[in-house]
Amino acid sequence: MVVAVTFDWSFVTDNAGELAQGLARTLEVSAIAIAGAFVIGALLGAARAHRLPLLSQLAAVYVEVIRNTPILVQIFFLFFALPQIGIRFDAFTVAWLAVMIWGGAFNIENFRAGFEAVPYRFREAGLALGFSRIATFLNVTLPIGGRIALPSSINTYIAVLKNTALMYVIGFNELTTTALNINALTLQTLETFTVLGVVYLTIVWTLSGLIRLLEARLALPEER
Amino acid sequence: MLAFLPDWVRPVADYMASDGLKGTARVAVISVLASLVVGVPLGTLLTLRFLPARALIRLYIEIWRGLPIIVTIFMIYFVLPKLGPSFRFDPFISAAIGLSLWGSAQVAEATRGAVESIPREQHEAAAALGFGWIGRHVFLILPQAFRRLLPPLVSLLVNIIQNTTLAQVLGAGELLDTGKRSVERLAFPPPVGIGEQHGIEIYGAVAVVFFLISFPLTRLAAYLESRLQREGS
Repeated sequence: MVVAVTFDWSFVTDNAGELAQGLARTLEVSAIAIAGAFVIGALLGAARAHRLPLLSQLAAVYVEVIRNTPILVQIFFLFFALPQIGIRFDAFTVAWLAVMIWGGAFNIENFRAGFEAVPYRFREAGLALGFSRIATFLNVTLPIGGRIALPSSINTYIAVLKNTALMYVIGFNELTTTALNINALTLQTLETFTVLGVVYLTIVWTLSGLIRLLEARLALPEER
Repeated sequence: MLAFLPDWVRPVADYMASDGLKGTARVAVISVLASLVVGVPLGTLLTLRFLPARALIRLYIEIWRGLPIIVTIFMIYFVLPKLGPSFRFDPFISAAIGLSLWGSAQVAEATRGAVESIPREQHEAAAALGFGWIGRHVFLILPQAFRRLLPPLVSLLVNIIQNTTLAQVLGAGELLDTGKRSVERLAFPPPVGIGEQHGIEIYGAVAVVFFLISFPLTRLAAYLESRLQREGS
């Protein structure tokens, strides 16, 4: 069977502006969510690793609830269910909030594992030098554990960026929604999805390559 | 117990359980089986030294792991029919194909790691017994690799079950979609609905169902992983 597949290059030039705006919104939402997920992960990951009472248990519940329910259901809950009790977020807020909550949960586990992998003798050395527990965390556990957690947390950030595509369901104009709207108008399906795929793969592959570079660069001295 | 619940609950729960849950199970079962059937051979072939084969499989893995699954599902649903009418799939199958492409990439990567963890001597012993490449892998290497493969496979099962909700974007009528339809119908004034908002209860129930399925499985995956670590194999 021979199928005439033609690729209309003018599609790219005709829709470049709109697609670039969609991409910009994807990157904007991702950046906010990644920054938030980093803070959530580092703080609550430390609470988990050091078994801070109450905070540690609350973080554990948060992690299990988010990891064991589909993110799409979480987005539906934030956007379609909460208005029932008077909590209304606009699409932009749900877009970054949903992926931030999701990424934060995964990042807690990344950082917890990283902090727990710091050998106890390192912390002992910090305490022996007269550092307080907080100073020991900031000067010993965070820099070393953070480096151990970096590859897995970057994986989480990549997943956060990919998950912004789900904001199609709430009609937020990020890259995927923009592309599907263009597709609905132009019916240039092949062109739409080629561009969409190329853009996502470029971003994701670049970030994955970055992990490998960072892994070599940030390896702890004793592992080199 | 159901007698104490408001009147609208019973029909909605019946509809979501009979139609929605069945649809979710259908997508999940197809996706898991297809991911295994495609992923295990691909991952095993990835240990070949033949570079072009490795490069092609690597490309397959990186593409389907790199794209957001929702984009893959839209591609299957919108782009494939352009190749001809026999490539037109209903929303269920489209979602299952999209999930399988992603899942098989995950399985292939995990299989490669597991196969490579089997020591050389096992390959040599099998070869000495007269097994060819296929026999060696099917009868000796893969059964041993399976122990190492099990924890990531359980995690994959959880991920696929949760990601079946993506079929909702095509209106496939799985659990989340039947929930959405119910919420929207109830919000209509009578006689269609009852003019009330019940998103919290319905989407909350969907979340609870997924939690009850996923939580034991993530515990199981963690247990299997820690057992593997302890044995140090």
